Amino acid sequence: MSPDTKVRNEVSQTNANSLRQFNHQLGSWTRQFVRRPGANRGAGRMVVALLLAVTLFAILNPRVFLSPINLQNIAVAAPEIGIIAIAMMVVMLTGGIDLSLVAIANFSAITISTLHTAIATTDPDLANNLGVVIVLAGIAVGMLGGAFNGFLVSVVGITPILATLATMQIYNGIAIVWTGGSTLYGAPAMLGAIGQAAVANVPLLFIIFLVVAVLVAILVNRTALGRMIQLEGANPVAAQYSAIPRRAVLLKTYTVGGLLAGLAGVLFLARNPTASADYGSSYVLLVIVIAVLGGTNPTGGFASVFGVVLATLTLQVVSSGFTAIRLSSYEYAIAQGVILITVMIFDSVSSSRTKRPKKLDPQLPSEASPTEAALLRP
Amino acid sequence: MTSMTTSQPPTPFVSARGISKSFGGVPALVNVSIDLIPGEVHCLAGENGCGKSTLIKIISGAERPDSGEIVIDGVSHAQINAHAAIQGGIQVIYQDFSLFPNLTVAENIVLTAEVASGRRLYSPGSVLPKAKAILQELELDLDLDREVGDLSVADKQLTAICRALVNDARAIIMDEPTTALTHTEVSRLFALVERLRARGVALLFVSHKLEEVLAVSQRLTIMRSGRQVVSGPTSEFDQRSISRHMTGREVDESRVVSDLDLTAPLALEVSKLSLAGAYRDVSFGLHRGEILGVTGLLGSGRTEIAESLFGVTPADEGEIRVGGKLVPIRTIQDAVTARIGYVPEDRLSQGLFLEKSIADNIVAASLESHRTRWGTLSRAGIATTIKQYFVGLKINAPNAQAPVRTLSGGNAQRVVLAKWLATAPTVLMLNGPTVGVDIGSKEEILELLRVEAAKGMSVIVISDDAPELVAACHRVLVIKQGRLTHTLEGDQITVDTIQERMSA
Amino acid sequence: MAALRRLRGSNNEGVLALVLLGLIVAMSIANPTFFTLNTGFSILRSAIVPVIFALGVLIVVITGGIDVSFAAIAIFAGYATVSFCLNAGFDPGLPGIFAIAIGVGASLGFVNGIVIAQFSLPTLIVTLGTQGVFFGAMYTYVGASYYAELPGSMAALATSNLLDVTTSSGRAYLHLLVVPVLLLCLLVAWVLKRTMFGRSLYAMGGDLEAARRAGFQVKRTQVSVYMLVGALAAIAGVIHIVLSRSANPRDLVGGELDIIAAVVLGGASIFGGRGSVVGTVLGVLLVQVIKNSLLLVGVPSAWLRTAVGVLLVLGVGIQAIAARRDSRRMRVIEDLDSAQQHEQKVGS
Repeated sequence: MSPDTKVRNEVSQTNANSLRQFNHQLGSWTRQFVRRPGANRGAGRMVVALLLAVTLFAILNPRVFLSPINLQNIAVAAPEIGIIAIAMMVVMLTGGIDLSLVAIANFSAITISTLHTAIATTDPDLANNLGVVIVLAGIAVGMLGGAFNGFLVSVVGITPILATLATMQIYNGIAIVWTGGSTLYGAPAMLGAIGQAAVANVPLLFIIFLVVAVLVAILVNRTALGRMIQLEGANPVAAQYSAIPRRAVLLKTYTVGGLLAGLAGVLFLARNPTASADYGSSYVLLVIVIAVLGGTNPTGGFASVFGVVLATLTLQVVSSGFTAIRLSSYEYAIAQGVILITVMIFDSVSSSRTKRPKKLDPQLPSEASPTEAALLRP
Repeated sequence: MTSMTTSQPPTPFVSARGISKSFGGVPALVNVSIDLIPGEVHCLAGENGCGKSTLIKIISGAERPDSGEIVIDGVSHAQINAHAAIQGGIQVIYQDFSLFPNLTVAENIVLTAEVASGRRLYSPGSVLPKAKAILQELELDLDLDREVGDLSVADKQLTAICRALVNDARAIIMDEPTTALTHTEVSRLFALVERLRARGVALLFVSHKLEEVLAVSQRLTIMRSGRQVVSGPTSEFDQRSISRHMTGREVDESRVVSDLDLTAPLALEVSKLSLAGAYRDVSFGLHRGEILGVTGLLGSGRTEIAESLFGVTPADEGEIRVGGKLVPIRTIQDAVTARIGYVPEDRLSQGLFLEKSIADNIVAASLESHRTRWGTLSRAGIATTIKQYFVGLKINAPNAQAPVRTLSGGNAQRVVLAKWLATAPTVLMLNGPTVGVDIGSKEEILELLRVEAAKGMSVIVISDDAPELVAACHRVLVIKQGRLTHTLEGDQITVDTIQERMSA
Repeated sequence: MAALRRLRGSNNEGVLALVLLGLIVAMSIANPTFFTLNTGFSILRSAIVPVIFALGVLIVVITGGIDVSFAAIAIFAGYATVSFCLNAGFDPGLPGIFAIAIGVGASLGFVNGIVIAQFSLPTLIVTLGTQGVFFGAMYTYVGASYYAELPGSMAALATSNLLDVTTSSGRAYLHLLVVPVLLLCLLVAWVLKRTMFGRSLYAMGGDLEAARRAGFQVKRTQVSVYMLVGALAAIAGVIHIVLSRSANPRDLVGGELDIIAAVVLGGASIFGGRGSVVGTVLGVLLVQVIKNSLLLVGVPSAWLRTAVGVLLVLGVGIQAIAARRDSRRMRVIEDLDSAQQHEQKVGS
C-alpha cells in the first residue's frame, strides 16, 4: 500500500488533479493484481522502479525533468511504444515472440498515409471525411500481417522467432519498395487532432493507451481466449490434453498482436503526420525489454498488462531523464540493455532460490525430488 | 571377459551407508543403507515417491547427502560428484535414457567414455569398432549409423546399456528400465541383465513392479516414505509380502462395487476399432454408470485405445458411438464435444499446468462453458465451479490460488480430476488414476469415481494395478498385444485372475 | 538408395546445392551476363564477411542458442581497433590488428557467455540486450566518426587480389581474403567434426541435461562458444572494414537477420544439434546469388529484404512441413515393424 500512496503524492504535486484520478485507478488495479498469483511479479517491481526513476531524475535535474512539457512529452511518446509492448506481451504469453510488430506498425502507418494522400490529391475534403475508414483500413492491414504470422506459426508450424524474423523482413521490404525508401507526408486531419487533444491536461493518446491496456487486460484475464493463451504458454502439452485448440488460439494471438501493432501505427501518424519504413527501428529491442521488465515470462504462461504499462512509463521516464541530464540516446541504449539483463539475472536468481531441487532435474519431472518431498508431507 | 567368478567375494563394490537427505526441511531419505555386490542384482523397490530416485542421485553423485557415506571399492566418501562416480565405474541408465537424439547410435555409445578419458580430439574412425565390440559382446543387433532420435524405445534403451558398458562400468544402476518396454522387450532386457551379472557387474535395479522384482533380483531392498523398510535375499519374499512392505498394509481385495444395471443404456459403444500397429478389432460397450477396467501390460495397446477414444491418435478404422450416436473422433476437440474426458497417464506433463494456480487448472477444460453473453468469462460462474471442486474433492491446499507445483501427487491428481468433472463428461477415462498417489488419496479417488458413476457418469479406468481394478470395476477388459482377449465379470475379477490373464 | 541419401547430406546440403546450381543455370539462361567470371568473383567477394559471421552463428545455433549481438561485436571490435591505431598513430601490422580485434571480440563474447551460462537465461533476449549495450558503448566511449583512411597495412590488404583475370567482359578480380576465409571454414569444420569440443556442441544441442550427465563441462563450453563467436565476429569486422576501405560505425548492425536466415537455410536447426559448415556456406552463397540475380534481372534493390524474408519462409516452412510428414511416416513404419515382430512371435 505504501509505495502506492507515495507515487500518488509524488505525481500529484507535479501535475493536475486528473493524474490523481489515474493514480487512484492504478491503486485499485495494483491491489487487484497483487492478489493474482504470478501476475504481480512485474507490477509490484515496476511500481518501485518507476518511483525510483522519477525520484532520481527529479533530483538530478528538476527544472527540465519536472517541467510540464517534459511530462507531457512522456505521456505522448509512451503510448505507441506501450501498445507494441503489450502486443509483444500477448504473443510472449503463448511462449512465442513477434519480431515483426514494428514492421507491421510502420506498414499500417504507410497504408494510411498513402491512402490519404491518394484520395486527397483528387478531393481533400473526401479524404478527411473518409478519415475513419482510412484508419480502419490501416488497422486491418496490421491484423492481416498478424494473421499471416499466425498462419506461419500455427498451420505451417514454423518456430515463432524464425517466422516473424522472416515476415519482419517481408513487411519491411514491401514498405521500403512502396515508399521508395523515403518518408511519406500526410495523414487524415482527424489523426492530427487526436494527437493534439488532451482531456484535463492528459493527452488523448495516453488515454487511448490506457483504454487499450484495460481492454487487453480484460482479454487476457477475463475471456476464454485469454485464459487459453495463458495455458498454451504455461504447458502446451497439457493444453492439448485439455482440448484447447492450439491452432486457433495461436492464430488469434498473432492476429491480436498484429491488430495492436496496426493501432500503434495509427498512433505514429497521430503524433507526427509522417510515415516511413524505417521508423522506430530501435523499438524491436525496446518492446522486448519492456515486456520482460513488466513481468512477462519469455517462456510463456505469465504476464501482467499492468506491469507492462508501468514498465513502458519507467523506460520513457529513463529516456527523457537521460535527455534532461544530457546523456545521449546511445547511453540510453546501454541503459536498456543493462536493465534488461539485470532484471533477468535477478529473476533467475530469485526463482532458482525458491525451487532449487526442481531445477537440478528438469528432465525427470515425475521422479523429481520436490514431488517426492511433497508426497512425504503429512 | 565373460568368465564368471564361481566364488563371489561378499565384499560390496559400492555401499551407501546411513544416507539421509531432506529437501527444504522435508525428509526424503532417512538413514538408508544399501550394498551393491559384484555379480548380483539388487532390487530397489517402492512406490513412486518413496525416495528411490533420490538415493540413485546420491549414489551417482548428482545430489549430495546431508549425512552418511558412500564407499566405493573400500574407499569412503562423504559425497561424490557425477564425474567421480563415472570414473569410479558407476553408471546410471536413467529412466529417460539421457541420450543425444541428434547423434548416431555409435556416437552415443562411445561419446561419454571419450569424455571420461579426457581426450581433446575425436576420431570418428575409432568410434565404430569400439561400439561394434560392445554390441558383439552383448550379442545385440543395432544399426550403429542410425540417429538415436529415430530408434524405438527398446533400441534406445539398448543403446543406453551399451553406453554404460563401454565405460567398463562395475556398477550399473537402472532406473525403472522397463517403464516403456513391451513384454517381450522386457524379457530381452532380463536376459541381458543375466549376462551383465555373469560379467561380475554389480546391478541396482529400480522398480515398483512386483513380478519384475522377483524375476530379476537376488537381493531386495524395499523403501517406503524415505525409509528403508526391509532388506534381504529376494528368495525370502513373495508378491504379497513385497506389496505389503511397499504399501504398509495387506493387499486389499475387497470389492466395493454397486450392482451394475445391465439394462442401462450404453453410453459408449466401440466397434472394430483398429490403429495400425497399436491395436486391432477392439469392440466393447460401456453402460451408463458403469466403471470399466481396461488392463494389459505396458505396450499392450491399452493406452493407445484410450488415446484414440480421446482423439490424440485417432483410430484408422472402426466406429465409436456416444449415447447411441455415431461420432467421428479425429481430434481432442471432437472427443470433448462428445463429452468424453481423459485423465492422462503422465499427470505432470500432460495433465497439469504446474506453475498455474489450482483454480486456473480446474477451469482449464471448461472455459467455453463459463462464457457470459458479452463473450467474457463469468467470474461468479468460475468461482462457483472452483469452489465446488476445490471443496468437493477435498483438495488439500491453503487456497485455490496456490500453484499446482506445490501439491502432493494425490492432490494434484484430484485437480486433474476436477478439471474433467467440471466439463460434466458422460464418459470419463482415467489412465493410471492412482499412480504416485498415497494410499489415503487412492481410496478417496476411487470412492469419488464410484460416486460419480452412481450419478450416471460412465468411467473407464486404464490401469495395471490389479487391486485397484478389483476394488472399483464392474467389468475388466484385458488387452494383450493389441487385441481384446478377455472380459472379466463379477467373481472372475480377482487380483490373481487379472494378473494371470494380463501376462499369460 | 544409401548413396542417394549420402548425396542428400545429413542436413539436406545436397538439396541446397542442387537449388543453388539450378538457380545459377536458370539465371545464366535468362541473362548471359550473369554467367561470367566477373559475377562469380564479385559474389565470392560479397560472401566473405557473411560467411565468417555465419560460421559463428552456426556454432551457437548447434548448441541450441542464438546470438544476435555478433554484428555489434564485429563493428565494435573492428572500429575500436582502427580508431586505436589511427589515434595512437601506429600500425601494428595485420597480425597485430587482427590480434587486438580478436581480443576485443572475445571479451565481448565472454560477457554474453558468462551471463547466459551462469544464469541459464534465454540466449535471444540476452544477446538482444548486449547488442544494445555494445553498440551504445562503442558510440559513447569509442567514437562515432567516420574514418576514410585506414592504417597502412589494412589499406594495402584492401587492394590485394589473388587472381586477376582478363576476360572478354573485362577484368575480373578475386580478392585475396577469400583464402583465409576458406581456411577458416576448414578449421571450423574440423573443430566441429574432429574435436571433443565440437562434438560437445552437438551433444549440448541434442540434450543439454544428457550432456551434463555425460560429464561434459556444459557451462565452460557455453562461455567458450560465445567467446568464439565474438572472435569470429571481430575477424569479420576487420575484414569488412578492409573491404569497404573505410571504418564506419554505422555499418553491419541491422544485417544480423540475413546471416541467421542463411544459416537456417543451410540446414542448421534453430533448436540445436544440427548444422554443418558446408550447408552454412551454401546457405550464404544462395542468399548472395539471389541478391545478385535480382539485381541483374532488374528487380529494384529495395526488394532484396523481402526476397530474403520470402526465402526464409519457404526454406523453413518446407522443412517444418517435411519434418511433420516424416514423423508421421515414421510412426507408421515403426508400427509395421512391430506388427511384423508380433506376427513372428505369434508364429514361433
